[in-house]
Amino acid sequence: MEDLTQVATYSFELFGRHMTVNTATILNTWLVMAVLIVLSLVATRRTKKRIPNPAQRIAEVYVSSMDKLTRETLETTSRSYMPLVATMFLFLVLCNWLGIIPGLAEPTKDLNTPLSLGIMGFFITHTAAIREKGIATYLKEYCQPFFIMAPLNVIGELAKVVSISFRLFGNILGGAIIIAVVSHMIYSLVLPPFLYVFFSLFVGTIQAFVFTMLTITYIAVATK
Amino acid sequence: MDGITGAELIRAAALLGAGMSMGFGAIGPGIGEGFAAGKACEAIGRNPDEAGLLTRTMLVGQAVSESTGIYALVVALLLIFVVKG
Repeated sequence: MEDLTQVATYSFELFGRHMTVNTATILNTWLVMAVLIVLSLVATRRTKKRIPNPAQRIAEVYVSSMDKLTRETLETTSRSYMPLVATMFLFLVLCNWLGIIPGLAEPTKDLNTPLSLGIMGFFITHTAAIREKGIATYLKEYCQPFFIMAPLNVIGELAKVVSISFRLFGNILGGAIIIAVVSHMIYSLVLPPFLYVFFSLFVGTIQAFVFTMLTITYIAVATK
Repeated sequence: MDGITGAELIRAAALLGAGMSMGFGAIGPGIGEGFAAGKACEAIGRNPDEAGLLTRTMLVGQAVSESTGIYALVVALLLIFVVKG
């Protein structure tokens, strides 16, 4: 049970500082990235042919539905946020599904992955807001309804990052712990497949969708 | 038996706190998600054609309202695994 919160790490000294790398998380993230790259290469291979291959058809359906979703939520005709949103959803879904393969751990089980994606969304949101409305209007919105409320508004913006990343992290880690506890109780004689289906496939897909939708919603609220 | 030492007391309090955090933290999401599911059932009963959209919206809303319970889980895990007496 103690190994649930421990990940394999590699430590070294760099410029007099002690650096630690979570090797398991990094390697699993690279695995997900490799799978995504191979899938997109297969989907875009020989697109000039008259009859597209099945991978290309699935990719076209996915891209067009993501495009529709993004433009409906952002209420714009611009396509600039669609690649970010579609890639983020695919990456998170594959990360959350990785736990069903024995021996591999979800990268989202490590807080660093959701937190870095949340911080990335934070910077994208505020850059988009400044670019859309100008720095003066952007700063003026922090003083709503009065000037005294500005610290509260800043804390509210920072709390969004914590809330969005801890939601994903807690769901995935909680599912992994329940699977580990049940496997421990029955001495791993029978792997509980229904638990894997529920926590990895079902909850993982929903949480990836929620993370992506909340990122779009934050951008939509900030740019409106 | 030398009685309970300070470290054991801290460990016991951390485990008790983890259980209480999870128990109280599960009340809110339980009520909220049940309420959302009930409303979705009513809406599907009135308008069965939109069942797919309603189910999707309900699941996303439940996943968002679940987050307070997830914070309780994170606090409980911190108390169990991080607090060493």
